[in-house]
Amino acid sequence: MGGERSAGAQAHARGCARCGSLVSDLDGIHQTAPSLAVADGEPPARVWIALRAQLEQEGLIHDGRRGLTETLRNWLGEILTVVPRPALAGAYLMALVAVGVALTGPDQRRLNEDLWIHGTQVSTQPLSAQLDSAEQDAISSLTNSNPVVTASLQKNLAIVDNYIALCEKSVLDEPENEVARDYLYDAYQQKADLLAQISERGGDGR
Amino acid sequence: MSTQPTLRSRNHWKAAGLIVPSLLLCSAAPGATPGFPDRTEQHFKVDARPVVTIHNPNGTITVRAWTKQDVMVVAKRATDQVAVDSEQNGNRVEVTTRQVSTTAAPDDLRADLEISVPEDAELQIHNDSGGVNVTNVLGDMNVETIAAGVDIEDAAGYLTVKTVGGSFQCVRCAGRLEVSSISGNFRLIDLRSSYVRAQTSEGNITFNGQFLPSATYILKNYNGVIEVRFSPGDSFDLSATSLKGRVHNEAKLVPSSHHHFLPKVGNALFGSLNSGRARVELNSFDGTINILKRD
Repeated sequence: MGGERSAGAQAHARGCARCGSLVSDLDGIHQTAPSLAVADGEPPARVWIALRAQLEQEGLIHDGRRGLTETLRNWLGEILTVVPRPALAGAYLMALVAVGVALTGPDQRRLNEDLWIHGTQVSTQPLSAQLDSAEQDAISSLTNSNPVVTASLQKNLAIVDNYIALCEKSVLDEPENEVARDYLYDAYQQKADLLAQISERGGDGR
Repeated sequence: MSTQPTLRSRNHWKAAGLIVPSLLLCSAAPGATPGFPDRTEQHFKVDARPVVTIHNPNGTITVRAWTKQDVMVVAKRATDQVAVDSEQNGNRVEVTTRQVSTTAAPDDLRADLEISVPEDAELQIHNDSGGVNVTNVLGDMNVETIAAGVDIEDAAGYLTVKTVGGSFQCVRCAGRLEVSSISGNFRLIDLRSSYVRAQTSEGNITFNGQFLPSATYILKNYNGVIEVRFSPGDSFDLSATSLKGRVHNEAKLVPSSHHHFLPKVGNALFGSLNSGRARVELNSFDGTINILKRD
């Protein structure tokens, strides 16, 4: 890379901090890339076996398609032997940049949002079901309580339920908003605390 | 003129004719217990830093510090359907109200307690409805209520207060303060605390106190208003965020050295007033945050 650089470009890189930094980074990559050539060659056979077993177990491939995986494996092996390692390192770097650019696209964003929503639902649905069950038990224990206390507990339970609904909507609207998700978890925590208090006082809440 | 005294005396007789039967009816009404509300008084000798536990589901609890090394419990019961048990176990005094009858109406189960304690006493208080007032107690305090409000004045210990719907007011409190509620309003006035964490869902939070160096003040709600008062000479690092609501600020903040990357959530405000010695975090879901100059 140094040999291809013109005198004008070198002078500019010396005077311009931004370009100088970029050139310095490229030089670093240039120097490091050859060392990748001495890295391990073809992955050991056990890696391929384990990978195939896992893919079969998850139903992503079947026995009938073993030929394809074998072909892919051979194809990858041929590429590794024919193409020089520094060039591969450069291609790998470019692929990473391409993936980074692709990640900012609208499709990927939607996928990310779906993942967030799924993750939130996985963590909150069992909790929500448990709280619903606990709520039924707690409410049934309130029948003989002090009416002032009973009214306050019921009013505040409705307030918490309302906030859970608002937070859930907010999380669905903005799945990647961690603050909204924190408020949702807080609301669940409050409901659990409140139900515990109702249960404690249910029998002798006078 | 001469007829007026006669008319007056006739009116008096008429009034007496109405009042006397009414009094007789009242005295014969079911639920009224002769001799109630009654008053009992008990004293317990204690050492330094006694622990006083009070469990009174229905009625007011008033606790005051005094200079004696005694705990005095004055109980006023509405009826004999409720009993107040006070007992001492070492340096611990426990006051518990319990219902005697299972069929009594809630009003008949009311008991008001007035308790005097040494100022270094530690308090543990449970009260569902009624109210809790504590004055001049410097020991640690834990208060839990449902609908009852909590008023504390001139406290200095580690305070933890938890209510469901009851309000909370703390005047001239020092030490660590942690308070949470669902719909209770909080008023923290003339505070001198080094750590405050206050969270309520649908209540308002008012903070008008000192910002001590290296202290932390975290105020959070879902809805309602968070109001913080400051003086131009105060020094704090501020983070104020309302996810769906608004943030109003009168403080001349400078960019903070602690917030290089500003999160893009709702309405947020970050910055320092003077050298930013205290840390102030204000968070709301869809409430309003006001940072206003002290009057």
